[in-house]
Amino acid sequence: MGRLRNKGAATRAKLRGGLLAGAIATISLFVAPSIAADAADNALSEADTACLGCHSIEGLEKQLPTGETLSLHVSGEAFAKSVHRVIGCSACHGYVDLQTHPAATSDIQSARQYSIERAEGCRLCHGDAFEQHEGSLHAARVREGHPQAPVCTGCHGSHSVSPRTAYETCVGCHAADLAAHSKWLPNAGLHQEVVSCAACHAPAAPRMIDLRLYDGAKKAWVVDEEGAPLFEQLARSADADGSGLDAGELRNLLREINKDAATVPRTLRGRVELRTGVEAHRLSDKAHALRTCDNCHRYGAEPFQNVTVSVTGPDGRPLRYPAQKEILGSALSVESLPEFYAIGGTRNPILDALFVLALLGGIGVPVGHMTLKWLFRKYRAGRNRPGGGDIGK
Amino acid sequence: MPAAIVPAAGILASKGNRAMQRIYVHPLPVRIWHWTNALGFVALIVTGIQLRYVELVGLMSFRNAVNLHNWIGFVLVANFFVWLFFYLFSDKIKVYHPELSPMKHFRGSLRQLQYYGYGIFRGDPNPHHVSAYHKFNPLQSMMYQIIMLLLVPLQFFTGLLLWDLKRFSGAVEFFGGVRVVDTVHVLCFIFFVGFILVHPYLASLAHTPSAHFKAMITGYEEVEKEAE
Repeated sequence: MGRLRNKGAATRAKLRGGLLAGAIATISLFVAPSIAADAADNALSEADTACLGCHSIEGLEKQLPTGETLSLHVSGEAFAKSVHRVIGCSACHGYVDLQTHPAATSDIQSARQYSIERAEGCRLCHGDAFEQHEGSLHAARVREGHPQAPVCTGCHGSHSVSPRTAYETCVGCHAADLAAHSKWLPNAGLHQEVVSCAACHAPAAPRMIDLRLYDGAKKAWVVDEEGAPLFEQLARSADADGSGLDAGELRNLLREINKDAATVPRTLRGRVELRTGVEAHRLSDKAHALRTCDNCHRYGAEPFQNVTVSVTGPDGRPLRYPAQKEILGSALSVESLPEFYAIGGTRNPILDALFVLALLGGIGVPVGHMTLKWLFRKYRAGRNRPGGGDIGK
Repeated sequence: MPAAIVPAAGILASKGNRAMQRIYVHPLPVRIWHWTNALGFVALIVTGIQLRYVELVGLMSFRNAVNLHNWIGFVLVANFFVWLFFYLFSDKIKVYHPELSPMKHFRGSLRQLQYYGYGIFRGDPNPHHVSAYHKFNPLQSMMYQIIMLLLVPLQFFTGLLLWDLKRFSGAVEFFGGVRVVDTVHVLCFIFFVGFILVHPYLASLAHTPSAHFKAMITGYEEVEKEAE
């Protein structure tokens, strides 16, 4: 029965999705030019301003049949800063008939039902992420009817969608679980700083190392200025052959970045992340999360096969430039990547060679010395015979 | 406290045509420190190799190697202070007194090198004569001062920083970052790998192969009796 109900709901949702897509396309045709113009000066469109005329009123809410209260308030300031400002209210709320709004009756049965239905709208633009999410633990919990399982807005927010990091998003609900890691994970705090949650909790997703520019003086990530993407220009000019930054080119890039710096240089801080944000939606049950250390602490481990250097963009999203994986273990990394090192995973081949030399020397010297002593044994015996040598004189 | 030279044990049965006597050279705290340190360093090297070469070595899980490495590290740091305090508060510290004349030290070192590289094959006597306050030959004296006052503290200090990088983030940053700290730790590790292999062999170059090993257990070295 439950499955039949789910099927019915899915069909209704698809139908609504289709209608919504049509509405968005129609509205976008008329509204998009004005949005584009407004986007340039970071202001809301006239249509959105009209919506916010009522919806920005604090305390605006609706009573639902369940007895719940659904807040209808939208912070205009937060929405103006959100990445969805450019698509406007109508893109997600195209079902609203402005002639009859607010309608006398409503089909919103509960806040939860409304959230789940609205999340279907995200699929229209974010199909890839939605598909990944469908196979995730969160989606499974939603299907099971778990009242607290998050839909899209649970992690990304609704009217204030911004490029928050996955870490901040996860910690919003799972703060208590952070401490649990220290029961089994050595240096748990450090791991939580340098490994994104999804890198272990989306075990099937491919990982990478992102080396982000950090300002030691300000104790904050360096943010590239809007309209002047300096970092990418510098990286492109450092990467002479366009094959991704090698160890020497990375060192030159950092020297260029720090040529005017004061006492504290800007450095690159590494993090294990997923190659695409889309993959981060494929979160698994914690029983399937990666717990084996050698997923990273092993030479040639998968996360170290893809490397980027990046700077935080004006909107908070990273602006990435590819680098060669060899930079992680290069001798030059002592200068260019002093703050990123993973035992076993990013080891320097020169130190490996020295270790082998120490082993060979440590075994070879005694064996060689013993061999020489053995070869000279008859000579020594002859000298030790009375009148045969000078020992003991 | 036993006397430094123990005539009670008397002149031992002569070894070959040499008359031997027993000298108390290694006090109990030094022997405890030495064997704890030896076993600990072997264990640190084994777990260190496991940590660094997890794809080549499968003695234990990475996590167990981390925990073992940390615990043994702390035991050895405490053990280092056994050594330090014993020598600081004992007249035995004289065994570590450096030779202040560079020429004398250089000549002694050269003589010792000549012995290991040439004289030993001919059957020449060891130019260094062990006594309670001169147990190290010039090469040992120099090497052990470098090891005990520089390399071992450096290894422990970098190990401590690597044990909890977040707790010591300020110090790690001060010393140039985690990769710098780790590189120093690994370079010391490489040195100790070579040392731990060569040291027992050099210890076997006494008048019998096991003499120095026994001495580090009993405290008594067998040395040739000085001519009357």
